Amino acid sequence: MKKICSLLMICCLLAGMLCGCGSTDSGGSQAEDGTTTITIWHDKEDAIIAVLEERLKVLAPEINIVFEKKSDLTEALKMVGNDPKAAPDMYFFAHDKIGVYAEMDILAPITDIIPKEELDQYMDSTIAAATYKDEIYQLPIYYETLLFMYNRLYMDDSEVPETTEELYAYMEENTKGGHYGFVEQHSTPYYAAGWINGFGGYILNEDGVPGLDDAKTIAAVEYHKKFVALMPGETEYATVNTLFSEGMAHSTIAGPWMIPTVRAQGMDVGVAPMPVIDETGTPIAPYMGVQGIQVLKFAAENKKDAVEQVLRVLMEPEVGVELAQASGCAPANEACYELDEIKSDEVVMAMKETAESAVPMPNIPEMDVMWTVAGNFLTDVNMSGKDVAESAADAQKEAEKLIESMQ
Amino acid sequence: MNKWMKKISALLAMMLLVLTFIPTAVSAAETGSDEKVAVYVRVPEDWSNPCVWAWDEDGTNAFEAWPGEEAEADQANEGWYYIWIPSWATHVIVNANEGEVQTDEQILEGKNAWITISAADQVEVSYEQQTTGDIPEYVEKFVVHAQVDESWENPCIWAWSAPDGTNAFEAWPGYALSDDGDGWYSAKVPVWVNSIIINANEGAVQTEDISIDAAEVWVTVDAEGKSDFSYVDPNKEEVPNITVHVTAPADWEAPCLWAWSAPDGTNVYSTWPGEALEEGDGWLTKEIPGWVNSVIVNANEGTVQTQDISIETGKDIWVVVTDAENYEVSYEEPTTSTAAVETKAADATEEADTAADVTETEESNHTVLVVVIVLVVLIAAVVIVMAVKKNKK
Repeated sequence: MKKICSLLMICCLLAGMLCGCGSTDSGGSQAEDGTTTITIWHDKEDAIIAVLEERLKVLAPEINIVFEKKSDLTEALKMVGNDPKAAPDMYFFAHDKIGVYAEMDILAPITDIIPKEELDQYMDSTIAAATYKDEIYQLPIYYETLLFMYNRLYMDDSEVPETTEELYAYMEENTKGGHYGFVEQHSTPYYAAGWINGFGGYILNEDGVPGLDDAKTIAAVEYHKKFVALMPGETEYATVNTLFSEGMAHSTIAGPWMIPTVRAQGMDVGVAPMPVIDETGTPIAPYMGVQGIQVLKFAAENKKDAVEQVLRVLMEPEVGVELAQASGCAPANEACYELDEIKSDEVVMAMKETAESAVPMPNIPEMDVMWTVAGNFLTDVNMSGKDVAESAADAQKEAEKLIESMQ
Repeated sequence: MNKWMKKISALLAMMLLVLTFIPTAVSAAETGSDEKVAVYVRVPEDWSNPCVWAWDEDGTNAFEAWPGEEAEADQANEGWYYIWIPSWATHVIVNANEGEVQTDEQILEGKNAWITISAADQVEVSYEQQTTGDIPEYVEKFVVHAQVDESWENPCIWAWSAPDGTNAFEAWPGYALSDDGDGWYSAKVPVWVNSIIINANEGAVQTEDISIDAAEVWVTVDAEGKSDFSYVDPNKEEVPNITVHVTAPADWEAPCLWAWSAPDGTNVYSTWPGEALEEGDGWLTKEIPGWVNSVIVNANEGTVQTQDISIETGKDIWVVVTDAENYEVSYEEPTTSTAAVETKAADATEEADTAADVTETEESNHTVLVVVIVLVVLIAAVVIVMAVKKNKK
């Protein structure tokens, strides 16, 4: 009889466990026991979430934080953002989709919860990135820019190019025998944007107007071609990263996420400021992505106190420091840069320097169509050898057509 | 029932054991690090160019091929040679005369060791320093391969660091390259070297200064001393061409193939979108070099395309493209293209259902939940009935 009872208990336990496997339900404001659950969707690595979880433990047991990793976060949010039963209360993601969700009317301005003056502690560029149509929709946590990296086995600190012409001379001298002086994803808009922005051109301006046929954009792409000629033809993400990490390329422009990987492989990797473009006197100016917390409207209206407490914990400068230490993130909070832990971090400080000339990635919905159009334009020019001005005109028309169809 | 419980307990215990073992295995792998130890050898007079062959207890070799790596003469201690080996390589054989003479296997303790060899079978290992002065620092090295003209005898390498001019070897003509027996000679040089000269005939003939990266490199030299080099092994076996077979969606006009080798980025075609696929035996086909490991099928002048498709080198492939996001690769001709059609149909249905799926997540989860609970209860009931019957017996 005892065995039967045990079996029944196991079955009940199993059934109970399975009941817990239901879908996200962040609806309602408070559970019967007075606790509030805040569900946060994200797409981040474990080290980052571990820091946030640990920090937010201070709110337990009154506020229970649940982080849910979503590989298809942006699409899922488009589908369920309006459904309080399926949507999260907040999501932790890059700023560039803010416009899409603000237009869907699923986001609450952060200033509905945190007074605007308290956001003065954040870097201006991160607040600019978080702003859409004059409303701030994101609490910035950290930002990312591309960095100029070099392998010290091949490139001495004294050889690091300060200008693009120095970079070109270095490439000419060292691209031989199957090794490359410099590689980058030359035909990927996110990477080529640094050159275009540095020339004063643009892929899409803040009014949602494409700038592929802008004279400065064309000049940038034209100038960039001579560098492309000294790189491998195929330069998608894996190829470029592998060329650099396996010691077949001396230098690259890549994201900070590359650094732990190459260091683990034993590379003595150096990080330097972006070379200054000789033609314009300004550095290569890559896009800046700001990672932060966005609050969904339903949560802002129904769980305002809990949401505010979560945001206030995440505003503490120590969070930025711990994220920098855990994953090399550059804090968005200016106060972090007064602390020794940050000041002594070579990579974070290089990102801060690059961020001064970086351009926040456009956060308006029109950017969605620009990635493909700009990518095809760069492929036509860099890989198919087509005329830059003609390709730019064609791409501009295509972009305008697609944006018009979005209206 | 007791038997069952015992079996379940044993299974749980095994799982626990495996779980406990995982961290141990990981830490063992982690400690198999880059740490090096010095092995000094003193060999009989008739043993020339002593080498050390080393491995660990699992049989992992420290060096690529027998006879291992040549030990370097210690200038400060005549008669002694030294070599740095990974600390995990605790099993060594010292050999010389191109592997013709050798000791028995010696088991070391993973720390600096001095091996005195009086004869092949008379070996003494000591962990007390037998040499005077400091042990030379470990310097990482890379291999320089050289292929020289027949008229070049006893080729040597001279190596230095520019512009400071630090030399890797004491005196010109430098270090004698060893004959690898395949028409190539080789030697190792320190990673701080960035300039070399290949010379021969006691330094009477030589190349110009060659600037290189600190990476394994193959240098070819003609009779006049003109040189060229590559960081890619030119001896790599040539892989025969392969044929790519493709079926593309009906609305893809003029399908093309783009092909390259990752990660080096060597393209087969100079410009996108590559070359047009040709009509063949029910498939669109294209012959491409066997070294290709990545392809993209595209059409409509490159405006539609698949993702990067990774393929195995040297094998004919059949690619069934159903749309820009979906494709299937096989290394044998599929018997029918029905599968592809089915995949496409399934994908279309899936896409159409996606929105509904998301909004109906809760409902569908509940249905699954009910089914699972019913199943669990049914299984439990069967188990209980069986147990009761067994108890009655």
